[in-house]
Amino acid sequence: MTTTASEPTASDPTTNGAASNGAQAEGPFDELMSFAQERGYKLDWLRKAEIWGSGEESDLSRGGLLLQDLAGSDPAEVPDKSDNLTGRPRGTQPRKVAPRVGNYRVRTKADIWLRNAAELYEEAVQRQWSSATDIPWHTLTELPDDIEAAECKLATFLTEIEFVAGDVPGRWISEITPEYFEPRMFLISQVVDEARHLDVFRKRALANGGGLLERNPRAGSDVFAGTIDSARDFTEMSAKLHISGEGSVLTIFRMGERMAYNDAEKMIYRLAASDEARHVAFGVMHLQYLGQAMPERREEIHSYLDEAERGLIAGTNQNPAANANPSNAALSVLLGGGKDKIEEGQQLALAMRQRQVKEYVQRVTVAGFGERFEEGRAAGELLRAYANA
Amino acid sequence: MTTQSRQDEAPSHDEAPQQSGPDLSSPLAASYYTDFSWMKRSRQWGTRAPRGPGGVTLDGINIGVYGDLPDNWDEPSRMPRGAYPVSGAVPLGPAFISQKSRQWADHAPHLYEESISRRWSTATDVPWETARDLPHDVELAMCQVATELSHIGSIEAEVVSSWLELLSYGFHEVKLCLSRQVFESARQFEGWRKRALLNVDQLGLESPGWANRMLLESRVGWTETCLALHVLRGSYLLTLLRYLAAYGPSEADRALAGGMVADKARHLAYGMEHSRYALGSEPDFRDSWNRALVGAEAAVNRDEDDHVLQEALAIVFGGGVRNMDQGMQLVRRMRRDWTRAYLARMNWIGLDRDPWLTPRMRENFEEPGTNGTADAAGEAAG
Repeated sequence: MTTTASEPTASDPTTNGAASNGAQAEGPFDELMSFAQERGYKLDWLRKAEIWGSGEESDLSRGGLLLQDLAGSDPAEVPDKSDNLTGRPRGTQPRKVAPRVGNYRVRTKADIWLRNAAELYEEAVQRQWSSATDIPWHTLTELPDDIEAAECKLATFLTEIEFVAGDVPGRWISEITPEYFEPRMFLISQVVDEARHLDVFRKRALANGGGLLERNPRAGSDVFAGTIDSARDFTEMSAKLHISGEGSVLTIFRMGERMAYNDAEKMIYRLAASDEARHVAFGVMHLQYLGQAMPERREEIHSYLDEAERGLIAGTNQNPAANANPSNAALSVLLGGGKDKIEEGQQLALAMRQRQVKEYVQRVTVAGFGERFEEGRAAGELLRAYANA
Repeated sequence: MTTQSRQDEAPSHDEAPQQSGPDLSSPLAASYYTDFSWMKRSRQWGTRAPRGPGGVTLDGINIGVYGDLPDNWDEPSRMPRGAYPVSGAVPLGPAFISQKSRQWADHAPHLYEESISRRWSTATDVPWETARDLPHDVELAMCQVATELSHIGSIEAEVVSSWLELLSYGFHEVKLCLSRQVFESARQFEGWRKRALLNVDQLGLESPGWANRMLLESRVGWTETCLALHVLRGSYLLTLLRYLAAYGPSEADRALAGGMVADKARHLAYGMEHSRYALGSEPDFRDSWNRALVGAEAAVNRDEDDHVLQEALAIVFGGGVRNMDQGMQLVRRMRRDWTRAYLARMNWIGLDRDPWLTPRMRENFEEPGTNGTADAAGEAAG
């Protein structure tokens, strides 16, 4: 079908004004319009449709009807800046009477955009899982006390940090204009992913005898500036949360097989890693976009990465793979196979730590900021030393 | 250590052990590796959550100290409820809503688990191919309806997500339940966007926005926002979705609306249960809520009176422009139905809205065909 619906009236429907009855009946559609208007309906909202069920139809055989396949999804059609203050999603026809309610902080495409947010969102929807039924909880059997305590210590830590990973992206959702709804949709999917992680680690702690252990003694101790929590720029937050923080957690989850003692724990780490990989991909792809779209911000971004790397090295309480914190002791007990094998476990934790750093370097390089590892920036050098230790 | 249950008294912060700083130069010197007392810092060793037919559920793990819900959660950090506290935790800063009465609903954990167990995808669970080749007038009307529902879903995601962080970590079940609501509002956004753009290359007009503004600008409190969002506007939307699930022009439209009926019903269930709990805890809310709802209802009525959505729905329900009169009767019946359901829900919560209803709100009770807001249609229907 290629029929085009005629514009019904000469009036401006965006004003919600009185109907105009001036339409001339020129075809079947216009006849319908006249029929309705004669009976007191306005129908001034019917708009001309240029494409009508044409060859633009999506290929529904490829994963169904996907957000990225819709009209207006081409990134080139997404405006560089948005003055949309009524909260209408991109492409929606404005009304002149609509109140201004959208005091969005993020209104510039480069500040939020990435090329594959819609794809990541759809993947997140397809890969939703249930901590209640998709984990083979029946495989949990009584563990030695030291192993159970270590599992619960790590689960307590992860429960707490997943609060951060959920609340911080959640805070940004209402700050981003719906003109850029794709990244916003992804962040929403991240919030439910992190909710599920929080819930699955809490369940693990309470399912097999240990309970929650002591909370992280220094969680949230950097409250003044330069943290994931305090970032007032989206890219700063994303670089620290998605690339540095979640990247480190992803490495731990991916090595979950080494510290799992039953199929339930293996499945928890496997499923959580699959979610976490999407979050890291979001951060890398956004940083890559920003670096290309706004080269004038590159030095500023480097300074955020400096802070993130200092956190990677020194902020040991946020990373169980880093030395000298109780979560690392728990991790070492799990990797070694008991508290009497903790030194062996520490060697494995060190390998995990090196892998964290190598993967971080790789991600930052893919994001287009790899020069920091060649230019002798202090934290970069330190990371290299860790990676090569 | 034995696996014997040893329910410790919750230690105070003062009693909790002090931690020494990390020693990077000599990791093994750190006490954590030689002093394993951290392994004993469980408030309830021996906890084993039951595994029921629905697996290990959020409600099922609320056992012993982990199920103790205080009336106020005063902890200023993100400490998980039931964890062993530690001294010197730095407060996070934002003023959390700390009272249980201002966020709790007993079945929040069930709603969370149900939302996950009923997960679905607009990409693959809607038979989109059945929504091709509809009559042009019906297609354009459906595009307008879908555009407005998509816009509303987007705003709802903004509203709920803006409150998420302010809710206490001690009542994590509510945070989790509401995170699913944000996700489902997002599904409302993208599902209807897909529908609007399925056959046409442009969206319709934005929603008038009066109810959206009322919800976005609500700063009274989460409970009041929840009452207006979930129970008031939620009642309107739930009925609208039910009508679309019944009278949608294609199987795809009916399936899409039907899936969202289940989502929206959960949101309403949380809103009702929480509002009732809040009112039961603080009966003084009754008058202030009744007064505030007058304005909130007016915002919903103002959107409802917009002829654009009314006419689009009349075309969809009637099956075309030539049947708009019959369709408009269904629109009026829908108004009556949502208003009745809303008042019944308010009664269940403990609010008698009858003395507070405006003449405009009462109009919704008029029988189909006697409403004066669309005269010609009403006369024709009569």
